[in-house]
Amino acid sequence: MDIFLQQLINSLSVASVTILIGMGITLIFGLAGIVNFAHGEFLMVGGMVTWLLVMAGVNFFIAMFGAMAAVGVLGYVAERTLFRFTLNRPMNGFIMSIGLSVILQNVVIKALNEVQKSIPDPIAKVWVIGGVDIIAMRAIVVAITVVVVAITYFGITRSRYGVALRASVSDQDTAALMGIPVRRYVTGVFIYGSVLAGLGGALMIALFPITPFTGSVVIIRGFAVSLIGGLGNVGGAVVGGLVLGLVDALSAQYGYPQWTDAYSLVVMIVILILRPQGLLGGTLGPRAT
Amino acid sequence: MKRLRLKLGLGIAALGLFGVLSPPSHAADKDLKIGVVAAESGSFVSAGNTIVAAAKLAATKINDAGGIKVGNDTYKIKLYIRDNRTDVNVTVAAALELVNDIGVSAIWGTETHDYSIAMAKITGPAKVLQFSGNSSLGSALNAKSVAPGAWLHYAFQTEPQEWQRSGSTAKGVLSLLTPMLATKPVHSVVLVGNDATGQYLSSHYVKALEADGQTVDLVKYPPDTTDFLPILTRIKGMKPDIVHFWYNGDSTLTAFPQAEQIHVAPAYFLFGVDPGIYAQRNLKATVPVAMSCVPECWGGPKRPEVDDYFTKYFASGASKGPQSSVSLLYYDYFFMYAKALTQVGSVDNPDGVVDALLKMQYQGVVSPVPLVFNANHQVTFATEVCVVKPNTSDDFHCATEQPPPAPPPGDAGG
Repeated sequence: MDIFLQQLINSLSVASVTILIGMGITLIFGLAGIVNFAHGEFLMVGGMVTWLLVMAGVNFFIAMFGAMAAVGVLGYVAERTLFRFTLNRPMNGFIMSIGLSVILQNVVIKALNEVQKSIPDPIAKVWVIGGVDIIAMRAIVVAITVVVVAITYFGITRSRYGVALRASVSDQDTAALMGIPVRRYVTGVFIYGSVLAGLGGALMIALFPITPFTGSVVIIRGFAVSLIGGLGNVGGAVVGGLVLGLVDALSAQYGYPQWTDAYSLVVMIVILILRPQGLLGGTLGPRAT
Repeated sequence: MKRLRLKLGLGIAALGLFGVLSPPSHAADKDLKIGVVAAESGSFVSAGNTIVAAAKLAATKINDAGGIKVGNDTYKIKLYIRDNRTDVNVTVAAALELVNDIGVSAIWGTETHDYSIAMAKITGPAKVLQFSGNSSLGSALNAKSVAPGAWLHYAFQTEPQEWQRSGSTAKGVLSLLTPMLATKPVHSVVLVGNDATGQYLSSHYVKALEADGQTVDLVKYPPDTTDFLPILTRIKGMKPDIVHFWYNGDSTLTAFPQAEQIHVAPAYFLFGVDPGIYAQRNLKATVPVAMSCVPECWGGPKRPEVDDYFTKYFASGASKGPQSSVSLLYYDYFFMYAKALTQVGSVDNPDGVVDALLKMQYQGVVSPVPLVFNANHQVTFATEVCVVKPNTSDDFHCATEQPPPAPPPGDAGG
């Protein structure tokens, strides 16, 4: 029973970073119509910025905001200089983002070298409750994810900005005629998704070492989470992340551990066959009439 | 007319005098073209960069010392370095270019088994020597494949055979950890990445541990795993005496701190992690932790020659990585190859060079005893194993373990 409970706790922390990256992907595609395959590299850059700041003596939690700001700026530059030209040709944007991901990897290798980077545990405590180990930093990552999800969810569903955003997803032309600055909203969503990637990178390096290639690994899971939940649906990203976290933890315990990735992807395939729009339903991206 | 003859005579005399007085002219040094194929980008970059850095260091040293005397000529090494981008197709393309277009005499690399094999299909027919470090080549090098005219005749494995390295590593790990544990360890769990290299290497290591009296469970993880907690929780439930993190240094450095957070085992072994990295990252554990290097650690106590080598290696700009010690597996063989060329007296006699290498005993940096290739083109040398005291990051005790004389029961060699 202890082991089962431990794996349930593990699944929450496994899910957290995945939810953050999945949420960024789902927002950027669902609300801005951009398939950004370099989103994983944005996360990696966030981790590297955190590493640089922490190594320079900055407190981790301040460094985390530094990473969010840096990746937000990166997102702004990428959207203004690259993706704005591909809004009407998403496939061009997708291919461009693959190129951008390779460029970012090599820029980081050139600037910092290829060696794995890690930081000291920001909080090294482990609580043992009823035979279950609860690692303090992982608990904090879960808590931060919950707060970010709540802010994002209410921002989209309840705020004026969110209503306008959803209106522009439904019909860009009508939204524009009603005075909504659609292009600026697209930029805003791209920056927000990038900031989430920066946060994900900071939280990731607090838990695990990262390399310039970390992004290319996590991006697959990020897209899986987005598709399972429903592209463009914040709640869907949370559900998708939790599903993958549970599958990972339970399959590592009760299945073949080397197949954990395969189990996750099988679950994704089954869900997409049974519910092509994802578990909670998603958008097909912004539409112009 | 007389004047003209006089002028001509004086001119010829002047030329003759100039010829006598001017120093004897040297023929210009010739280039010895050597290819290096390694990952300078992509996921194997930390291993690939060690090959490139070692090759540059060796070439500079040889060239600065005047080059290689071959017959009446002196050759300076000219390196042609190609990034294989951790991609077998790029590797093949690079090998084709180096062999067919540039005409190299030898190639150093690559860092992985399947890439090296693919490259040997190109170097072999072209009679270009190939020095590859990966131990898994042992599964292909045998009396038939290295015979004259066979496809691996020009390929050399510069890393020890895996059964040898596994044997010396297992023995070293158990002999260092056992005195530090409350009870004699009998149950080991080997955690390994589920890729071709991981499967090959762990098959030998499990046999070596079993030969040393361990009951072994093998647990595999998907390559590129970052969150090991679910798998480590499972291993903790197996109640192991020692968890052996096998083969991939970067993955080990990701998994080990997570294992220590939930106290998976009373002792750990980290393969492919240099003590220098352990100290640099200020890693600590409440239990003893062993690690090993191939062939010698850059972060542990070192022989003066090895110390000197790593000082120059890092001064050249190479990164201090978990696999930096692997560079030694490539460095010494430049000098060994140069010596063979000098002995043969020609750069156009690859069969003679192969014969010379097989007869040679070369004392390099890499091993305290001379390097010798066996009949299957493989070298033998010891493994260094270190253990760090609990709750410290840099209090190491190291030992050099010799390989066993024969593969353990159930291990066919290779």
